[in-house]
Amino acid sequence: MSNPKPKLCQESHFNTFYLEHAQAINNFAYYKCGDSAVSLDLVQDAFSKIWENCAKIDFEKAKTYLFTTVNNLFLNTVRHQKVVLNYAKASPYMDRTDMSPEYLLEEEEFKQKLQAVISDLSEEQREVFLLNRIEDKKYREIAEMLDISQKTVEKRMSGALKILRKKMEGIEI
Amino acid sequence: MSKENDILKWFDGEISTEDIKTRYPDEDFSTLEKTAFYAKQLEVPKIDVERALADFKNRNFKKEEPKVIPLNFKSFLKIAAAVVVLLTSSYFVFFNNTKSFSTEIAQTEIFNLPDNSEVILNAQSKLSYNKKQWKTNRTLDLDGEAFFKVTKGEKFSVITDAGVVQVLGTQFNVKERDNYFEVQCFEGSVRVTSGMNTNILKPGKTFRMMDGKVIEVKDFNATSPSWLAQESTFDEVPLWQVIDELEHQYDIKISVKNVDASVLYSGGFTHADINVALKSVTIPLKLSYKINGKTVEFYNYESN
Repeated sequence: MSNPKPKLCQESHFNTFYLEHAQAINNFAYYKCGDSAVSLDLVQDAFSKIWENCAKIDFEKAKTYLFTTVNNLFLNTVRHQKVVLNYAKASPYMDRTDMSPEYLLEEEEFKQKLQAVISDLSEEQREVFLLNRIEDKKYREIAEMLDISQKTVEKRMSGALKILRKKMEGIEI
Repeated sequence: MSKENDILKWFDGEISTEDIKTRYPDEDFSTLEKTAFYAKQLEVPKIDVERALADFKNRNFKKEEPKVIPLNFKSFLKIAAAVVVLLTSSYFVFFNNTKSFSTEIAQTEIFNLPDNSEVILNAQSKLSYNKKQWKTNRTLDLDGEAFFKVTKGEKFSVITDAGVVQVLGTQFNVKERDNYFEVQCFEGSVRVTSGMNTNILKPGKTFRMMDGKVIEVKDFNATSPSWLAQESTFDEVPLWQVIDELEHQYDIKISVKNVDASVLYSGGFTHADINVALKSVTIPLKLSYKINGKTVEFYNYESN
């Protein structure tokens, strides 16, 4: 008679769910589309879908459903958009002891190139790569999140690294 | 292949940068190292989740939220109540066959009971009986006036508010109006029970009760009640009862002015013509009347 499982259709539960996952899902959407306005739209649309279908969704599965929905919405709408990535303003350099203008210039060039190459990755490779890099996620965690196998994640990561290495080595002296 | 795996493990944090460099001393990992390092610094737009939620709430949803009705005792009670109502109503519909007849003002109805006993229902009267039980229990409820020709058989009972009339096989008239109860026997014998009084009527006898008092009535010679011939006859009946009967036969309201309504009247009126009927009531009592639409006023013309 009593059901201890939290119900997604209850507004308070839904709000908690929203607040808990909004940032993460927005990051994910951003890795995919590389546009902050579009990603937020995707996120809101995905939450709408969840709210509208709240009765059919298991609370435990809701998070996975959220990522899947963003993924599908992305595929349906904004697949071929120009990806614009930016570095954080206070991004440090790798070698903090060498602050010579040459070094700084080289590093700046590298960063610009890297940004362009990441933008050119396929959206699947990019999302895995950035989830791993920016959010320090293990492949296992990414696999769980996207509801795919860890093998697939590793394959995508491997592909991303190959492309990155190939394209980035071009500027090495 | 294993190098590729190790690089993957390196990015997954399972192998440190030093380890990978010692494992593959000939390989230059600087590009990957830089890539790994700088990619971390890519910025992710921060969202204000509270505001995003507020925006979200302003959206229109086409939500089909199914109504969840908790399974509790109350709903069981409701269902049980519904079932009880259903069962009782179906019982009444299918098993308790009460048949009713009723007549309006100035209307009479003739019909047969299941045992072929004949009933003639006078104006503004109501009669009901149980169809299913009729064979074993010849009982009917009457409110108003009716003439019965009862075929021989089981005890035949007419139940009215004023009393019970029981017969075996006979012809009799029962009249039960406000404060007025009259049974006339035309054939056979009739037993009338009203309160404490029990009377057995022989043909030509009348049992009459007004305001709870039994009134002595002279014998009559008719073989059927006069109202069957479109006429109402009275034998020393107070005027108010005659007026009551007039109102049953004609769609009028009668008021009296300076007239003693308890004055006794003997005579009759027709059901066919209101003016003739009013005259035949008023003239013997030295009264006059005025018709005003559906209301009629009786007054004493000598005092005017």
